[in-house]
Amino acid sequence: MRSLFDRMFVDPFNRLADQSAHVIPILIMVLVTLIIGGFLAFVARLLTYRLLQLAQFDRLVQRTGFSSMIDRTGVFRSPADLGARFVQALVWLFTVLFALNAADTPASVELVRRFVDYIPNLIAAGLVLLLGVAVSRMISRSALLAAVNAQWPAARLIAGGVRVLVMTLAIVIALEQLHIGSLPLLVAFAIVFAGIVFALALAFGLGARDMARQWLEAKVRTSVAEEEVFRHL
Amino acid sequence: MDELFPAELKSRLDQIGEADIIVGIPSYNNARTIGHVVRAVSVGLAKYFPAQRSVIMNSDGGSRDKTQEVVMQAEGGADDLLLVSHPVHASYRISTPYHGIPGKGSAFRAIFAVADYLHAKACVVVDSDLRSITPAWVELLARPVLEHGYDYIAPYYQRHKYDGTITNGIIYPMTRTLYGKSVRQPIGGEFGFSGSLARRYLEKDVWDTDVARFGIDIWMTVTAIAEGFRVGQAYLGAKIHDAKDPGADLTSMFRQVVGSFFSLMEIYENVWKKVSSHEAVPMFGFPFEVGVEPLTVNTDRMIHAAQQGITDLREIYSAFLSPKTLVDLTSFVHRNGQGFHVPDELWVHMIYEAATAYRHRRIDRDHLLQSLVPLYLGRTASFVLEVTESNAMQVEERIEKLGQVFESEKPYLTQQWDAAGKERLHAQPV
Repeated sequence: MRSLFDRMFVDPFNRLADQSAHVIPILIMVLVTLIIGGFLAFVARLLTYRLLQLAQFDRLVQRTGFSSMIDRTGVFRSPADLGARFVQALVWLFTVLFALNAADTPASVELVRRFVDYIPNLIAAGLVLLLGVAVSRMISRSALLAAVNAQWPAARLIAGGVRVLVMTLAIVIALEQLHIGSLPLLVAFAIVFAGIVFALALAFGLGARDMARQWLEAKVRTSVAEEEVFRHL
Repeated sequence: MDELFPAELKSRLDQIGEADIIVGIPSYNNARTIGHVVRAVSVGLAKYFPAQRSVIMNSDGGSRDKTQEVVMQAEGGADDLLLVSHPVHASYRISTPYHGIPGKGSAFRAIFAVADYLHAKACVVVDSDLRSITPAWVELLARPVLEHGYDYIAPYYQRHKYDGTITNGIIYPMTRTLYGKSVRQPIGGEFGFSGSLARRYLEKDVWDTDVARFGIDIWMTVTAIAEGFRVGQAYLGAKIHDAKDPGADLTSMFRQVVGSFFSLMEIYENVWKKVSSHEAVPMFGFPFEVGVEPLTVNTDRMIHAAQQGITDLREIYSAFLSPKTLVDLTSFVHRNGQGFHVPDELWVHMIYEAATAYRHRRIDRDHLLQSLVPLYLGRTASFVLEVTESNAMQVEERIEKLGQVFESEKPYLTQQWDAAGKERLHAQPV
């Protein structure tokens, strides 16, 4: 018959030793994976930065106009830096997933499975946002040019408004993809936008009625008069 | 080709068989003026080409003001008061809607196709809103083709000093500089050309581009010069249009004409890079002094447009203008009234840098062309202020001087063009 001492102290210690023998190698493996992954991510960042610099990536992005946006964030030194850090983050992410999977606990396996299932949504949302940036830029530039060529004084305001509108739409669609409630954002935007338009209409129509009439009259008169007398071709 | 000819038109053309001269008149809601043009052309054909078989073809863009009826009902040319000799062949008349993108170029394409089908020796095209056309215009544009072996006859008009500023400020000096022929009105609107050149035009696949619209005139001129066709000019006197040209919005007109010119620079790069000087183009007709309609120009509005453009479009300009050009532009443009001035060198550099950026697609091509409109208005205002007190001859000398600057700065264009090409090639592996 086993003594009370064995049951109170030796058995729990043996059980703890058994469990530790099972968990410690896993913990060590996770730790080593994270260290190696971190190192690989750092190397990937350096290599990507070098490659992008060699390929004159900064110059290329400068032409698209994204450079100024990146500068304005104050986080990244250059488009190449942004690209390199993005690659680093990706390597890190996969390292963490690999480590969690290697841990082989029910919770970590479930977490990895859920994340993998979520990846298509993340990609779709990212693409929607990228497309939104490109389209908003294109449309706002078209609006700016049309407004400047029509000699509207608030040309930049109009272009900015168009950009915000398109980007808001893109963000709402991206949030939908991520299954994050986008309705409150959409409603808030609609309320604010409608409010601004209504306020402007009231201000222009009531507050500056005479000015509005004169402006429209002048607009019609000068455009007709100039079309009639001036030939450019 | 079949899609260009509705069954009705084809059977009419089969009835006609062959023709020596085709006179094409593109139209869109020109019922008010086209009758006069058809009458002048009819008289011109009967008077100057009585022995030739001729066809007057109205290529219409879907007018809703009975333009086509006016064409068919306009009086013919057999008027004893106007004719010295009577025609052996009566001229045929066709009025047909054209197919394709609505625009002058699509209307011309139908005319080229009819000329090809009827094996015409010479073609003449005239605008349908002309008030100053005379029967002699038909002779001046067609005879050099029929009897002197020319392939392309551009018009030469007397114009008001403020008129035709895209021609004077960009198209004429650039055509002369790049292609070496001093065609004074390369986008005049009235042209004579040979049947073989019409066939060459038809072979080109450009009918979904701006050539189908206002780009047609410069495309015809540059194609004729660059492909080695024999080119001349005809003195027509004054050009007076109807007051309003439907759809003639400056931005789209500018975009179509200048965009077509820049596209042609890409196509004929190997031609213009070899040209180092220009030569005079033979002129037919007897030059005479004519009175031109007075024009008023609102320079304040143009200056304001340029200043607003420089302020609001700086980001776009910095994508295709060099830093030096941008700095110079800013310093010159932000002056008002008589102090406002855009020097020739600056203007030439802006155009050359824009052409280079267009070629290498530094920014969206449509955006680039639209952004040039305020700069063009600024340059036009500067020109108007400069020649306010000048007579016609002095203005012509001024335009000649601008042409010389375009020519002397051509190495700058070539250098920019080639450098941008290499840079692009270098950046491609990304």
